[in-house]
Amino acid sequence: MLTIKNLHACVEQKNILNGLNLNIKPGEVHAIMGPNGAGKSTLGYVLSGREGYEVLDGQVDFQGHNLLEMTIEERARKGLFLAFQYPIEIPGVSNMEFMKESVNAMRQHRGEERLTAAEFLKKAKEICKQVQLPLDFLKRGVNEGFSGGEKKRNEIMQMILLEPSLCILDESDSGLDVDALQIVANGVNSQRDGKRSFIVITHYQRLLDYIEPDFVHILANGKVVKTGDASLAKQVEKEGYAFLGLDNSEEVTA
Amino acid sequence: MTWLQQVIHRGQAMNDWLSPVRSQALEALRNTTWPTRRTESWKYTSLAALEQLKLTATEPATQPSIDAIAGLNSLDLVFINGELQTDVNSLSLPAGLHINNLQSASAVQRVIATSMFAQIKPKRHLFGLVNDALANDVLFIDIDNGSHIVQPIRIVSLSTDGHESHHRVLVRIGNEAKASIIEQTQGEHTSLSTGFTEFDLGQQAYLEHYRLAMHTHQAIYFGGCHFCLHHNAELNSTFIGYGSQLSRTDIDIIHNGEHAKAKLNAVYLLGESEHINLHSTIEHAKPHGTTEENVRGIVGDKASAVFNGRIHIHRGAQKTQAALNNRNLLLSRRGQINTKPELEIYADDVQCAHGATVAEITDEALYYLRSRGISRSQALVMLNFGFIQELINQMPNQQLAKWLEPQLRARFKEMEVR
Repeated sequence: MLTIKNLHACVEQKNILNGLNLNIKPGEVHAIMGPNGAGKSTLGYVLSGREGYEVLDGQVDFQGHNLLEMTIEERARKGLFLAFQYPIEIPGVSNMEFMKESVNAMRQHRGEERLTAAEFLKKAKEICKQVQLPLDFLKRGVNEGFSGGEKKRNEIMQMILLEPSLCILDESDSGLDVDALQIVANGVNSQRDGKRSFIVITHYQRLLDYIEPDFVHILANGKVVKTGDASLAKQVEKEGYAFLGLDNSEEVTA
Repeated sequence: MTWLQQVIHRGQAMNDWLSPVRSQALEALRNTTWPTRRTESWKYTSLAALEQLKLTATEPATQPSIDAIAGLNSLDLVFINGELQTDVNSLSLPAGLHINNLQSASAVQRVIATSMFAQIKPKRHLFGLVNDALANDVLFIDIDNGSHIVQPIRIVSLSTDGHESHHRVLVRIGNEAKASIIEQTQGEHTSLSTGFTEFDLGQQAYLEHYRLAMHTHQAIYFGGCHFCLHHNAELNSTFIGYGSQLSRTDIDIIHNGEHAKAKLNAVYLLGESEHINLHSTIEHAKPHGTTEENVRGIVGDKASAVFNGRIHIHRGAQKTQAALNNRNLLLSRRGQINTKPELEIYADDVQCAHGATVAEITDEALYYLRSRGISRSQALVMLNFGFIQELINQMPNQQLAKWLEPQLRARFKEMEVR
């Protein structure tokens, strides 16, 4: 699905990723943990193609394609999805129009017919129900006036709607109460079908109680310093990152 | 001979029953100092394109045609290069509606027309005076007291390559009468056109009005909409303006009776090196009037927009409520927006608000849409449309909005900065 080799990347001339390697097979769930500033969010942005995140070295193969050569929208159409930590508000563009346009962009890419407004609405309504967002959310501006939890659920809704092959969840659990956390986790689990892969970026073991990972990677100073199974996350929760010889002090996230 | 001297020369040759009022305009033009960039109301708009204009009239290969607007069933009146193409004598009109030109107007109508011509439009508009002097075809729309004209009246003015044209419209809406008027002007080739319309809204009259100023590229356009609102009259007006190498529109709304209501929504959309200058002046001369004015503009590439919105609350116009808001979206670092809201208040018991902003489409918003598979150009169209959607949705005539929408989307594609 995704093979990252020796990835180096910088933001505003500051090196954030320093030789990161990661190999993800179809159907696998990989959790990425690590202290603030380790480069977790940067990894998500680099993979999605965000401008300003410059790749200095390394290769990323996504389903047989050179990911780094693709535009942002091409990556999305090929099945890469990033659920944002802080989704932006776009007043004026309705959620409905936004999601319909993106679903149809994907369909067009796959050579399928565009969904009609009615077909889309039927689909959107079902997913709204699944992530427990009221229907009038479709009419409102993209994330406009949504609470933190609603924004996160909106990301999960888009993920379910767009049926990506690789989902990157960037701290989709931060700022959520237990109920909202379960909705998000259930949404993710409903999409696990043995083929779809997930990268779950999180600070807390809590989310991994609901979304059971196949692998847990600890990221520090822009590379993977330790890989293990779910028990590694439990160890981090208990002991912090100190046992890895890493400083656990708070820094500002890049 | 300067351009203005030529205008005066040609204006002197005009001979019809409007000549007495035209001669006043000529007198004013003779006393006019040609504006320069030091003239406040022309500070950001250069008239060089007009000064250097050379027109060589060419006949279009095919006669320009006017598309009907689906579902609108409008009464279409068409000017091509300032000449009225519609035969006003053969129109079948609903009761209470009278449409005439200079030739067909009756003696009574001539009296009404003379009392309106150049009377509602303020004399300070240079190109309004030019239009006074040179408009050879004048359309006079008169609606009887109490008549509700349901069918929208659509006035289209086209200019073609190499032509200079001046068209004029007078609209009188009687007491308690209602009407819907759409003014659409367009042309893209080298041409000069002026189009001024004066509206008199009687007591408790209601007018739904649209000015679609869609001149683009090489066309030079000067337009004006001037409204006089009497007691309890209500105006709902929408202006949509594209830019061209030189384009200016002046809107005046005069609250000349108490309890009048005006709502003005304006949108301008510019690309390439187009320019638009939009001036609005709201005169609250009487108490208890309300004005709500929302102006939004999107400027791409090397285009430039000027918006000047003035609200003048006269002494004694107590209990006036007036709000003016101008928001702009700049798509390019090379684009320019000059916006100036002006409030002049001489009454002490009024509510008045104004604001102006200029913002950019954030890279973050573009990134968010693209990360969901939407192409960059489509994302720009969506973000642009989002910015003006609110005003388009407020158009009372949704058939017209539906017709406009694909055109605006096409316009956004043209505005995209490559």
